[in-house]
Amino acid sequence: MRQHTTQPEAEGATPSASVPWPIALDQVTVRYPNGVVALKDVSLRVEPGEMISVVGLSGSGKSTMIRTINGLVPATSGTVTVGPHTVTGLSGRQLRQLRGHVGMIFQHFNLADRASVYQNVLVGRFSHTPTWRTLLGSARPADRDIAMRALDSVGMLEKVWQRGGALSGGQKQRVAIARALSQEPAVMLADEPVASLDPPTAHSVMADLQRINQERGLTVLVNLHLMDLARQYTTRMIGLREGRLVYDGPAADATDADFEEIYGRPIQVKDRLDR
Amino acid sequence: MTTAPQLDIPPRPRTWPRRALIAGAVLVVTVLTTTPALGGVEIDLDSIARNWGNGASRIAMLFQPDWSILPRTWEPMLETLEMALIGTAVSAALAIPLSLWAARPTNPGNPLRMAVRFVLNVVRAVPDLVYATILVAMVGVGALPGIITLVLFDLGIVVKLVSEAIDSSDSSYMEAGRAAGGTQTQINRVTALPQAWPAFASQVLYSLELNVRVSAILGLVGAGGIGRLIDEVRGFYRYDALSTIILLLLVVVILIEVASNYLRKRLR
Repeated sequence: MRQHTTQPEAEGATPSASVPWPIALDQVTVRYPNGVVALKDVSLRVEPGEMISVVGLSGSGKSTMIRTINGLVPATSGTVTVGPHTVTGLSGRQLRQLRGHVGMIFQHFNLADRASVYQNVLVGRFSHTPTWRTLLGSARPADRDIAMRALDSVGMLEKVWQRGGALSGGQKQRVAIARALSQEPAVMLADEPVASLDPPTAHSVMADLQRINQERGLTVLVNLHLMDLARQYTTRMIGLREGRLVYDGPAADATDADFEEIYGRPIQVKDRLDR
Repeated sequence: MTTAPQLDIPPRPRTWPRRALIAGAVLVVTVLTTTPALGGVEIDLDSIARNWGNGASRIAMLFQPDWSILPRTWEPMLETLEMALIGTAVSAALAIPLSLWAARPTNPGNPLRMAVRFVLNVVRAVPDLVYATILVAMVGVGALPGIITLVLFDLGIVVKLVSEAIDSSDSSYMEAGRAAGGTQTQINRVTALPQAWPAFASQVLYSLELNVRVSAILGLVGAGGIGRLIDEVRGFYRYDALSTIILLLLVVVILIEVASNYLRKRLR
């Protein structure tokens, strides 16, 4: 008997859809061309399916650290491993293929405001689409379907034909999450995903990320600077101060003293979302 | 009576040294550019008074338009408009990839961007009449050399202005495209192109306006359009007829400007 598969195989894709990947940083240091050392000798292992927060003040190196995982920032020394890939040293097609399995969302959403929501979400299918097909502007039905389902899963399907710029901040971040989900990633990175949002919207976006972690089993790594969000939504917490790893433990158990150690100063009102 | 408390106004910064410096610089440049002994241009204001009569009679003729030339203007005017439209359309199509290649966010690879920019600088540096003269010699008298000239002229303008608009606009969406594993071409096609669209359409409309003016001149060297008629009547010193043609050109240019202003507003 012949076997039938209903799901068309995406070309060039290694099986990833629902298999979360581990992340490992081994003595990673990042020195920028201007001489600033943003990350100093950081070692870390994230288990598959973990929801982990990286907490630190701005300038603590958390944005740099999250970008070493998908190679947006190359590690100056040390090695970064994501699932079967060693990120360090990857370039060109191999690097793009790795990135295809790692979704990322940003503080400022990074949508193209004048492109439709649909086009913005199709960005997530780039690594699974040959360049000529993108150039002709004809998405495969399978890719279109994945994009629509991703939008539906964050409740944004009705906005699919609107311009990115016509949406509110919270809606933009949901579209950005749909863009990342349409990659069918094994790992989800979030760099200060709620820092530009008002408190109620911030909570609902954090809840979305939590749901993604629980329902899809994705490994989720989220940068935060607010202590209550880290405690409430993540299971494990990493603390960075001046590029060094200064805390690693369960997020719920982190005491105010631990946060003062991470921040390097007494706790202030602005360190919490809900005052 | 109550007295308002004394305000502690900080001392106003001194601006006169700066102003004096600017005024001095303007003076020096003016003297240098108008004194022939110092390498400036020769300006003989007396000649205006001496030769006033020669020009005055022509200006007088310009104020009495000869409408009898009007029927002869339709055909070359139509040709001018067609040349302008075709030139704009062809240059617009070519400008899309060139603008993306000439801007830093959409083409981070240095060598290709520099090459495109260098070629376009050369294209822009050559005067349009030079293109027209050479092309008339190469492909013969008519509309074709005019159209090619307009395409080159437009490319220089549109690609420069659109690529600078891309350079200065927010391109944070690029990072999302890269993070998703996209190639630069994919990112440009899906996100950068819609982002650049208003700047692009606006410059293309502007180039259409310019083309009508420029193609009026191109006829002087045989590159087709209304310029041929202008050259003819000017040769016969028919300044009254020339005046009619200029008025017609004015009307057409204003109409195109009104239309393109309307379209540009709709783009926002």
